[in-house]
Amino acid sequence: MNRIKSLAQWLLPILLLAYFILLNAYLYSPIAITTTDVFHALTHKLQNTPYDNIAQRLVIDIRLPRIIIALLTGAILGISGLLMQTITRNPLASPSLLSINAGASLGVILTSAMMTLNIFPSAITGIFTHISLSLAAAIGAFFSWTLVLWISYSDGRIQQNRLILAGVAVSAFCMAIGKVAMILAEDQASGILRWLAGGFSNMTWEKLYYFLPFVILPILPLLWLIPKLNLLRLSDESAQSLGLSIQTIRRMIYGIVLIWVGASVATTGPIAFVGLLIPHISKYIIGYDLRTNIPMCALLGALFLLIADLIATALAYPSQMPAGAVVAIIGAPCFVLLAKLRNAK
Amino acid sequence: MKARHKLLILSAIALCTFFTSLMFGAQFLNPKTIIQALIDPAHNQHFAIWENRLPRALLALAIGAALATSGAIIQGIIHNPLASPDILSINHGASLSAVSCLMLFPSVGLWLLPLSASIGALTAFFILLIIAGKRTGPLKMALIGVALSAFYSAIIDYLMLGARQEINSAILWLTGSLWGRSWHFVAYAFPLIALLLPLSFIFCKALDLLALGEQKAASLGVNVRANRLSLLTLAVIMAGISVSVAGPISFLGLIAPHLARRIVGGRHRYLLPASMLTGAIILSMSDTLVRSIAPPLELPAGVFTALIGAPYFFYLLRRTK
Repeated sequence: MNRIKSLAQWLLPILLLAYFILLNAYLYSPIAITTTDVFHALTHKLQNTPYDNIAQRLVIDIRLPRIIIALLTGAILGISGLLMQTITRNPLASPSLLSINAGASLGVILTSAMMTLNIFPSAITGIFTHISLSLAAAIGAFFSWTLVLWISYSDGRIQQNRLILAGVAVSAFCMAIGKVAMILAEDQASGILRWLAGGFSNMTWEKLYYFLPFVILPILPLLWLIPKLNLLRLSDESAQSLGLSIQTIRRMIYGIVLIWVGASVATTGPIAFVGLLIPHISKYIIGYDLRTNIPMCALLGALFLLIADLIATALAYPSQMPAGAVVAIIGAPCFVLLAKLRNAK
Repeated sequence: MKARHKLLILSAIALCTFFTSLMFGAQFLNPKTIIQALIDPAHNQHFAIWENRLPRALLALAIGAALATSGAIIQGIIHNPLASPDILSINHGASLSAVSCLMLFPSVGLWLLPLSASIGALTAFFILLIIAGKRTGPLKMALIGVALSAFYSAIIDYLMLGARQEINSAILWLTGSLWGRSWHFVAYAFPLIALLLPLSFIFCKALDLLALGEQKAASLGVNVRANRLSLLTLAVIMAGISVSVAGPISFLGLIAPHLARRIVGGRHRYLLPASMLTGAIILSMSDTLVRSIAPPLELPAGVFTALIGAPYFFYLLRRTK
């Protein structure tokens, strides 16, 4: 009985994921796409034969990179949320509320502003274009996260009550600077608002290729960390006495999260609340073992963003709506609920 | 120095910032030109000054004052240094209500805006109180407020992105700005604020006594319930009216009362006017800056208050246990 249950726990999200991948591939397209088109397009792509019609080209060139980026973003944001909640021991911790999203956005904005404004001599700008936006995002995220840690750190530990408020305030601060830079540097201010909402319109294979290395890179240290993660739920002292260097692990987790979130922000714009919500749902489904929670968070995060993207497309069809706006409307009430349930003073 | 003298100095500074905000903009005008342009309708700068800068400068003063007073009252009543209309989600609630009103009834006149914003502000505040419950610590209350703000701004974001509004109105309802605010807004907001601000002075004594704690205030003959209710309503409505003109200006209602308390101390007789003046000065200065930093581009004024306010909030957080 238990085996059937655990099988169902995994099978159901996977089946749903496959189903929504299919739906995302053909629903709500300005040029009608049929389900057979989707499969034919895939076989044509794999066999390298020409497409039958424009719909199939649409599937491969526009829908597919969009779906893959949504899947990857959801997965890495879900896992990042789980890692942050574990390492800070705070159920509200997540990249968006801890200002990592905002810091990364600021990094992206400042870098692109410098490139458009040509503030620096061309030699330096040349270096900047070579450093990708993802890296700039990770660096921005690092600074904002350090600031949050500094604000919430006193008496030798992170003060849980302050952590989230500090994160929200640092986010507001970063966003204020970001808006100044954006409005001054960019001509198209309305594009800014859409980018800040975060979404998957205009995804291309090229963007995916830039995104992919940053997604894959942190997986190796994560694999090394997974067996040790459960020990982190103990107190720092007991974990240390079991032979774990908390400092090293903490830094590694910060590194993983910063790179992942940075890359996702640079690719899709900041998407909030995935990292907050998904770990709670995942723990609700399969319990508290962090080793199994990591793949589950990846699965659910990917599923969540696919559904959100589908809803966003459906609501605004035939125009486009950033998926991040839909995610925020679903996620924010859960934030309220979690803030309420938290038995803080 | 006596508190009264400090208030005088603050008023002088407020007056100076008011004149500076008339001087700066897309084009710098010297004081002489301004006076000539104000008097003489045929002057070539008359339109820019009279129709553009003057209503904005007046609104900046009034709204800064109203938001700051609202923050001072709320901080005084719920004994929470982190409380203010923006942290407690009142600003974004008012903003959401105003936006939905504009979208549902686009043809209705401007007079509906302050009404709907005030109703939104009150509703947001009651929702906060219901969710937070009675015995909530300052940090948790602020946390729930921030969460609710996130929710409201998510909905505003969604409405704005769906409706393809022009960018300035979107920024207005998400960040707060005084862009394009004309005499129409002065005409409805000024009388309301001018009525409500003095009204708060009546409660100075009650506020002082309430600061001692509920029980002490009650034993000193204060009707705690009635005073609290009327004061909070007053504060929330003032925030609502401000938001209906300028959008949710962030952190202003938080920092202005704190600064004022540093200047004149905690007695509300001095604290309330000092907060008003500080708020007016900060918003007026922010508005001048955002207009003149890169003309003809304009930044939202809420961005500047956030740039000053967020670091102060960090400092407050580090102090709060």
